[in-house]
Amino acid sequence: MIVSVKNLVKRYDDILALDHLSLTVNDGEIFGLLGPNGSGKTTAINCILSLLKYDKGEIEIFGQSMRPEAYDVKRNIGVVMQNVAVYNELTVQENIDYFCGLYVPDKRLRKELVTEAIDFVGLHEFSSYYPKKLSGGLLRRLNIACGIAHKPKLIILDEPTVAVDPQSRNKILEGILELNKKGATIIYTSHYMEEVEQICSRIMIIDKGRAIATGTKEELKAMITMGEKITVESQRITETQLNQLRRLPSIVSADYKNKLLIIKSSKGSNNLETVLEFFKTENIQFGKIYSELPTLNDVFLEITGKQLRD
Amino acid sequence: MQVFKLCLKILKKNILTLLIYVIVFLGVAAIMASSSASEQVKDASFKQSKANIALLCEENTPLTAGLKQELAKIAHFVELSDKTEALQDALYFRTVSYILRIPKGFSEKIMNGEQIQLQKTVIPNSFSNAYIDLTIDQYLNSARLYVEQIEDISQESLVQYLKQDLAANTAIELKINEKQAAHQSISNYFFNYLAFSILSILILGLSTLMLVFNNQDLQRRNACAPLSTTNFNRQFVLAVLVFTVLSWLIMAVLCLSFTLKYGININTLYLLLNSLVFATCAASIGYLIGNLVKSPNAIPAISNVITLGLSFISGVFVPIELLGSTVLKCASFTPTYWFVIANNHIASLTNFNYTNLQPVLASMLIQIGFAIAFFAAALVLGKHRRLQ
Ligand SMILES: Nc1ncnc2c1ncn2[C@@H]1O[C@H](COP(=O)(O)OP(=O)(O)OP(=O)(O)O)[C@@H](O)[C@H]1O
Ligand SMILES: [Mg+2]
Repeated sequence: MIVSVKNLVKRYDDILALDHLSLTVNDGEIFGLLGPNGSGKTTAINCILSLLKYDKGEIEIFGQSMRPEAYDVKRNIGVVMQNVAVYNELTVQENIDYFCGLYVPDKRLRKELVTEAIDFVGLHEFSSYYPKKLSGGLLRRLNIACGIAHKPKLIILDEPTVAVDPQSRNKILEGILELNKKGATIIYTSHYMEEVEQICSRIMIIDKGRAIATGTKEELKAMITMGEKITVESQRITETQLNQLRRLPSIVSADYKNKLLIIKSSKGSNNLETVLEFFKTENIQFGKIYSELPTLNDVFLEITGKQLRD
Repeated sequence: MQVFKLCLKILKKNILTLLIYVIVFLGVAAIMASSSASEQVKDASFKQSKANIALLCEENTPLTAGLKQELAKIAHFVELSDKTEALQDALYFRTVSYILRIPKGFSEKIMNGEQIQLQKTVIPNSFSNAYIDLTIDQYLNSARLYVEQIEDISQESLVQYLKQDLAANTAIELKINEKQAAHQSISNYFFNYLAFSILSILILGLSTLMLVFNNQDLQRRNACAPLSTTNFNRQFVLAVLVFTVLSWLIMAVLCLSFTLKYGININTLYLLLNSLVFATCAASIGYLIGNLVKSPNAIPAISNVITLGLSFISGVFVPIELLGSTVLKCASFTPTYWFVIANNHIASLTNFNYTNLQPVLASMLIQIGFAIAFFAAALVLGKHRRLQ
């Protein structure tokens, strides 16, 4: 077990930002913390890193109790904050070297590490640029390089892809998978469910400072009653046909709007087949038809009654 | 030493802005040097043609004649009509620099051994005037001594004694002192002006540095590292010290390069010490401002307002004698004022015993007091912010 948090409570005046949050992160995992804006992800990370005082709770990292002066623990952690934090007066290379130097005093070793980090985030041709000259995406990559250059065992990334275009985002996500493959345990926070689904081996969904569900994405999706969602393009469907559809076994709902039929099924297989058979017998003409499995958004929606993203 | 190096790099990145103030200093200093050089030429020719003095004599006795003779050695007499307007004009157009009135009953009072205060009107700040004052004082004091010592001395023999006395006097030595005093006052101007540059450089440099270090995101990122707060702060303070001393050193050397031709003496050493004390004070102001400002764009404006304001009201640009008493009262709540006061004091010193040095040391102590107050305010402010 790399990280263990028990009953963490953090209050900002009258806001309860973390409400008895408990979590564990195992060796080698990519642990995702998924929650909407203001759900307490950053607060949780800052408490775990002893950057914030908290009201209650126990935090252990690498089996040691985490305190501001737990330097042995800190030495093996790499942090990428939500807000880009680099020195505008230093170049890309100097920034990485500075932050790496806080962990690695040896100059020669550090030089190698810095070069490696620059290559890793693909900032080679920008290494003598000042941050002001970097685009948002490149700046994010620099932010990441500063956090991981010293090859930490545990890497904590707080929404590292906010405001990054899809291409850069994919690069970053691939990079994180690569770091994980090389042996780093990773905590990754985001409010993008796609990202979390894409890379995380275990996910905790939080809302209003409380953990509402934890597990692999399959486990999370298995928690809800909803099954696949079938969408059909059709020119004409009568009200009677719609009602007939709704009465079919394992169909939860059917709605027809703007020539699009959306059918939600309960769990189980062969739902698409049932629908297709119905169309055949009713002799309904249709264009495209496709089915989607439930997303984490559906999980969030079913548990909290609201959308993950507003 | 990562943090220490970081500080120096941040300061280096801002070196161009800081250099502007060094260049401004050099420019103004060059102008001051050339104007003081031409003044010196004036000084030299002055000694030959002597100071211009108007003597308004309301009686004619051997004693007044004697005084006139003595003054003739060091001054040149200009005839003026005894009308207020004429006298004012003469002073204004510098036809004369000294107007001395010898009132009726002057000789009688001397012969009676009474204290005499002669009425004089002068152009302030002229060295030849001090010399005239001195001669008059000597004449009157010696006269009183003779009158006290020798009973029933006649006016004629008194004048004879005085003539011998004053002839033996150290007029040459006085001339040397005068020259030295003039040079001292030039050095003094340069060192006063140093306040502006040191203030600008340290306020700009340190407030920029503070602003970077007060960035919360960067603070947090640094706090994630295995580096103790004590170690971090120690390196930061070291960098601030190095920057302060280095800035002072550069400016002091530049300043000396202009004043060196007047020679280095103990006064120069005290001027240097005073400027170092002032540099710590300027550093504390920069540190405080760095804790107050929120945006780097505001720094140059704030820095200019403060340095120019402080320099103007406390006699850095304008000699302190020309400032009004209200202004000076306000100025006495600023460290620049005490820096200038100490400089002016140092420049007038010829004897460095404790009593003479006391006002200088007091002014330095006041500056140190200001520095401590500003640093303390900055620390309290920083703590307050952290708690929020
Ligand atoms: N310094 C603070 N003072 C007061 N309230 C705060 C402070 N920081 C965060 N909060 C509140 O605590 C709650 C959790 O905020 P937090 O930043 O941890 O959320 P988050 O999940 O990281 O959100 P986001 O996705 O926007 O980054 C929010 O309601 C926020 O308003
Ligand atoms: Mg956040």
